[in-house]
Amino acid sequence: MQIKINKKEYEANENETVLDVCRREGVRIPTLCSFGKFKREAVCRLCLVEVNKSGRLVTSCTTKVAGGMEVETENENIQKARAINLELLWSDHAGKCVKCKKNRKCELQTLAEEYKIENFHFVPRRGEMTNAEENELLRDNWSRVVVDEKNPVVERDSQYCVECRRCINICPIKSYGFNHRAGDSVVGTPYNQPLDCIFCGACVKYCPTGALIDQGDINKIITDLDDGKLLSVAIVDAAVLESVGMELNGVKTVENLAGNLRSLGFEKVFDLSWGFQKYVEAVAEEIHPHHTGKKNPAKQRKFISSFCPSAELYIKKYFPELVKNIIDVKRPEEIMAEAVKKEYAKKEKINPKNIRVMLVSACTARKKLKDESIDHILTVRELGRIAREKKIEGVRFAGSVPDKFMNGANVKYAELHKYGKLSQLLTEKIKGDLVIGAANGVLEIENALNAELKKEKLHDFLEVMVCPGGCEKGGGQSMKI
Amino acid sequence: MENTKILTINWGKINPLKIGDYLAVGGYLALKKFVSEMKPDEAIEEIVASKLSGRGGAGYATGEKLKMVAESESHEKYFICNLDESEPGTYKDRMIADNNPQLLLEGIIIAALSIGAHKAYIYINGNYEKQKETLETARAQAHKKNFLGAGILGSAYDLDVEIFSGAGAYICGEETALINSIEGKRGEPRLRPPFPTEAGLFGKPTAVNNAETIANIPWIILNGGKKYAKIGASCSPGMKLYILGGSVKKPGVVEAPTGVTIRELVDDFGGGVTPGRDFWFAQIGGASGRLVLEKELDMPLTFSRDCQIPLGSGSILVVDKMANISDLILSWTEFFRRESCGKCVPCREGTFRLHEIALRLQDGEISERDKVAIKDILWTLESTTFCPLGRFAATAMRDAVEKLNLLDK
Repeated sequence: MQIKINKKEYEANENETVLDVCRREGVRIPTLCSFGKFKREAVCRLCLVEVNKSGRLVTSCTTKVAGGMEVETENENIQKARAINLELLWSDHAGKCVKCKKNRKCELQTLAEEYKIENFHFVPRRGEMTNAEENELLRDNWSRVVVDEKNPVVERDSQYCVECRRCINICPIKSYGFNHRAGDSVVGTPYNQPLDCIFCGACVKYCPTGALIDQGDINKIITDLDDGKLLSVAIVDAAVLESVGMELNGVKTVENLAGNLRSLGFEKVFDLSWGFQKYVEAVAEEIHPHHTGKKNPAKQRKFISSFCPSAELYIKKYFPELVKNIIDVKRPEEIMAEAVKKEYAKKEKINPKNIRVMLVSACTARKKLKDESIDHILTVRELGRIAREKKIEGVRFAGSVPDKFMNGANVKYAELHKYGKLSQLLTEKIKGDLVIGAANGVLEIENALNAELKKEKLHDFLEVMVCPGGCEKGGGQSMKI
Repeated sequence: MENTKILTINWGKINPLKIGDYLAVGGYLALKKFVSEMKPDEAIEEIVASKLSGRGGAGYATGEKLKMVAESESHEKYFICNLDESEPGTYKDRMIADNNPQLLLEGIIIAALSIGAHKAYIYINGNYEKQKETLETARAQAHKKNFLGAGILGSAYDLDVEIFSGAGAYICGEETALINSIEGKRGEPRLRPPFPTEAGLFGKPTAVNNAETIANIPWIILNGGKKYAKIGASCSPGMKLYILGGSVKKPGVVEAPTGVTIRELVDDFGGGVTPGRDFWFAQIGGASGRLVLEKELDMPLTFSRDCQIPLGSGSILVVDKMANISDLILSWTEFFRRESCGKCVPCREGTFRLHEIALRLQDGEISERDKVAIKDILWTLESTTFCPLGRFAATAMRDAVEKLNLLDK
């Protein structure tokens, strides 16, 4: 069908919303709560448009298109509504932009700039108290501030929260919800308990502000990088290439990234493929006896992949009876970090104590299950923060290549971070009659494990990845704002 | 016709805890008529003909709503009686439950059976603890008499009524928030469409009706919809409970036809303004109601969309000139600041800010920037909120600005 947006004709499909068409056609509509295919909450009230000159404002995210519809996305009333609602939101926000770890990567900040929001009308509701008179007004609101630093992955600070509900909708195990109501409502965990989830990081990835950020000591990392006595080794998971360009302008290839990392202060940059290769080989060794020996000795059958740390946490939490079935092989980054500190250090005659192994990763759950041999784990977002801190963004040292680790790795293992790659490689490697399957996303994993428990479908190997789409869509990736 | 009483006729005459008293004054004759003489769609046709409209405040045609649910093909349907009355100054539904719970139950049974529901809920305000007990007793007695349960009065009908207590949140009077609450979710309005008549409680077609609306149904079944349609204003006919409060001689709940004027209610039913006080304005329909000045008192009150003053819940608060407007504003804004569900930005933040400004107003100091803020917040509450609560939160303040010249001081 045809619809008109700002007097221009566009083709629209049935069941699309006005926002869907506008996004597809590049018509700018500001939103905070609406993203992707997730539930349209219609709570931020910023995507307002006027339809058929009705004089009424409706949310474009929930208004279905109809043939001949005329949509206006900018007029005086729309501007006014967006500006007022944004100012209301802005005044409820800590507004400590310069200090905020999401500075320059914050959707609220971007919108406030776009609509020229100054906090003119209102006393800030959250954030630091400025003077004694305001104390009285602010006192009421302190109950809303929830700061949770008790886990190694997600740092929560509700002062920055804009109640957009993305985290509530994206969380695969429904960790978040609303506490209290009206002006006191605050996003949090049940009974305000410290977050104890599977740490997939999706909430951090989609949070538009600094309310949910990566837990990690950036300053310590920078000190380590700048310390001339230490050898800083970067292990790069190629999955980060999916979004690293959004943090480091223009960085697209592993070569670009290697150059950039070197200018940040890393002496050695290794690709994780060596670890990937060792991992596949070890796993093949583990599951092979199933096939050659007695098929599926039910007792000690090890069949669940240990690749995804978030999946491991998920199984520990929801399928404790299957923990014994997780394959007993260290994850690739652990294998490799250990090798750096042992074999590599011996070969290069360096004291392992003077090596700092830092993993550049698209995964946040790795932080929760961090091996001793890894010193720091950086998500794509944290890498961006370091780069901004050190004022090194964009492509540096063009033509740089990653260092070769030990004897190097076979190139076919380079893309193990992709969903389905592990089961594919194993199928190729173990030529035989094995049941090899894969599941991504919590729902699929749950179904597969339930089928396993009910003995409906028994696997010799099951690849599990919590982030739908694998590490390329991992919780540690950056988001376009 | 003016003397017809439908809702309050037996108040004080019967013991609400004894079903025998209700039966002695003709109770459950309508149900007997429905079960033995009528088909479900005939009952709905009578309700349509009566032009009965929702007494909760929105004034939606009750018959049409029941018809939509009755005609949907789902095997599972629900009927909900909305007794979450929480509008300040409104207690008509509580009085119905207190004085004649069986009348309400009879209405619920007829309406639920006519749409093909096997389960009905009474969603009662969490603060109405005594009324909940009264209703529980009434339900048990009706069950014993076989007005409820399996094979009602020897027919093939069966119905189970559950009395569900909310937690006293204002927003849960909004039907989709109410449905969320019964489902065990956070009491917040849902996106519409789908409307509850298509996908309501547990995703099934659901009719949600106000308690007062339902209490009219037995009379309509017994006396016919056409007769009901002749009572009161032709656009939204029937009898209505009005709650008189504030500076009137005789405050309380009165039953009068729709279309009466505010002056009639205050002078004839309420005995006039409290002696020694001067009428300033009246607020119609609770904290979310419009303000009415002396010159507008002869306006008839109806549910029609053309009616400038919406009847709302039916409460009439008379304010005299001794009252302090900043106290009133503080009480309105405090109410909405507490009762907003917190879902959408303009309502969550706007009601908070209005309350904050009201606090300053009470201290006697609002700045120019507060005045601009009031105008902006009222505008965004009226134009951009998720559910009607935002608009409600702005109504009284808007009238205070426009009719009482609040900002000109």
